[in-house]
Amino acid sequence: MTIPPWLDDFLWTYGNLVHALGVNGLLALSMYVVLAVGQLSLGQAAFMGLGAYSSVLMTQQLGLPFWAVLPLSVLAPVVFALVIGLPTLRLSGVYLAIATIGLGEVLRAVYLNVDLFGGALGLSGIPERADNTMIYGLLLAAILALWLVGRSGIGRAMEAMREDETAAAVMGVNLLRYKMGALVASAALAGLAGCLNAHVSSFIGPGEYGFEPAVTILSYALLGGIGTPIASVVGAFILTLLPELLRELSDLRLVLNGVIIVVAVLFLPGGVLPFRLRRRAA
Amino acid sequence: MNRRHFVAAMAGVMALAGAARAQEPVQLGSIEILSGPNAAYGVAIKAGLELALDEVNAKGVLGGRKINLIVEDSAANKDQAINAARKLIGRDKVVAIIGPTLSNEMFAVGPVANERKIPILGTSTTANGITAMGDYVFRTSLPESDVIPVTLKKAMDRGVKTIALMYANDDAFSKSGYDVMKSAAEKAGLKIVDIESFGSKDSDFSAQLTKIKQLKPDAVGISALVEPVSGVLLAARQLGFGPETLFIGGNGSNSPKLGEIAGKAADGLLVGSPWFVGKPTAVNTKFVADFQKKYSKEPDQFAAQAYDAMKIMAAAIDRAGAAEPAMVRDALMQTKFEGVMGPFSFTTGRDPASAEGVVVLVMQNGKFGIAP
Repeated sequence: MTIPPWLDDFLWTYGNLVHALGVNGLLALSMYVVLAVGQLSLGQAAFMGLGAYSSVLMTQQLGLPFWAVLPLSVLAPVVFALVIGLPTLRLSGVYLAIATIGLGEVLRAVYLNVDLFGGALGLSGIPERADNTMIYGLLLAAILALWLVGRSGIGRAMEAMREDETAAAVMGVNLLRYKMGALVASAALAGLAGCLNAHVSSFIGPGEYGFEPAVTILSYALLGGIGTPIASVVGAFILTLLPELLRELSDLRLVLNGVIIVVAVLFLPGGVLPFRLRRRAA
Repeated sequence: MNRRHFVAAMAGVMALAGAARAQEPVQLGSIEILSGPNAAYGVAIKAGLELALDEVNAKGVLGGRKINLIVEDSAANKDQAINAARKLIGRDKVVAIIGPTLSNEMFAVGPVANERKIPILGTSTTANGITAMGDYVFRTSLPESDVIPVTLKKAMDRGVKTIALMYANDDAFSKSGYDVMKSAAEKAGLKIVDIESFGSKDSDFSAQLTKIKQLKPDAVGISALVEPVSGVLLAARQLGFGPETLFIGGNGSNSPKLGEIAGKAADGLLVGSPWFVGKPTAVNTKFVADFQKKYSKEPDQFAAQAYDAMKIMAAAIDRAGAAEPAMVRDALMQTKFEGVMGPFSFTTGRDPASAEGVVVLVMQNGKFGIAP
């Protein structure tokens, strides 16, 4: 089958946007996982950065093939999550948020000051290895996995924790184990997203994994809703598409972008898709 | 209507259509930062491009066709810059792209344009390795490696033998400027006594400056954006650095804001610049006057670079003989141009060939003048 030239041009024009939708969907899931156990962690951008930097170094310095790089890209963020998990998960609410922002800033300083990471110049000339099949395959697999977990007993425990930690603990839910599990899963998803993003956009720099992207990732989940995994992905899609759909408006673009988000948050406090996972009665 | 009339009418219609096609504007794209904290650079560049465009379109290219300039905002974001480039190439079918504003953005956008064989011309991207990305990546901005040696030479003429270097390590522009400063100082035979770094948003530089003061270098080279440079200079004067220490700035110091923020503390600072508002050539005086008339403010270096770039691009499209990207690329390579920055041509590596236009400026009473 041959693709007509106009369609080919169309797909090429929005190729990067299509990549970004998938990658941001993965990031939204990474946020969903921690929010689902009632933790406000803002370390997702930092995990993404670890995945991106470690995978690019594996590709550029070690010359590993991408089928090896992609699974290995979860390694650095997961190890990091395990190390920082124990001390930080004793915190909760806004204190955990502040601690995880701090971790992101520490990593940013490391990228800036260690020559291996290219300093402020970042790493450029990354070969294009990832494609839509990989990105959307992983996204679908992640949604499916989280959906199944959510419907199982684990999901029930997670929801109980989100609603009331103390009550959940009294009922016999091992809080630390679930929190740790959620953080590790979140780190792995963000790491994959970082690796995929780096291998479709040819350049990464330390500024892409700081505080601002951390808040953007949080807003994906908040706009979409955290009742189901798919809701946060929808939130990511909306927030990624908006600036490009509004591109024609040039000057008013960012204003309208902001207005739409404010209106959505005001009138849809539970997110765009405020439904909960259905579970059979026990 | 009989057949002969019909044929004649059809021929007439077709001739008209042909003429209309010849008059169709040439699509030219540009990607600049028009929103966010770095918007000042993009807005200045856009102003320079549009001023030059007015002059170009008064005559037209390729026998009277106008250039339609489509400027897209990147918001200093890598993904938005790539999206903008893909839109310009895939939808608007531009023949070439001017921009993007930052070197980091160019590292992301350059490969996209190169893959589609669309010439891309940076006007403000000074980092090393930009044009090495591919045969379609050009720049008119002098890399720092061409400017800083000229500044250092001027300093050595004044008897500087030892130098301490300071730089902001958290932005690409400052870091690459420092890399150049260090290698240029080594090459010129200057003794580097100390290297200190800081963050672009720092406000306290006393630890670094106290250390440098004890080492008594003849000069201090600073590579950072204008705000931290001003902060360093103010702190240095407080710590007792006098006129015996020569301060040398990278391209970041080359902004009228330095005098506004640091005032007299900046006096004596040397900076190399590819352009100067008071450059006494006829093209430049006309450019400055036209710019002031259109925007009622003085142009800066970024507007000047963009002004030249637009004229270089328009001339290349005209020489190419058709609005075909590959032909425009070849025509760009043949560029011989006399602009506000001085004589201009490309090297075989698609960088500016000559640093003749570089002037060394000195800060005096909060204003830049040409260094004696």
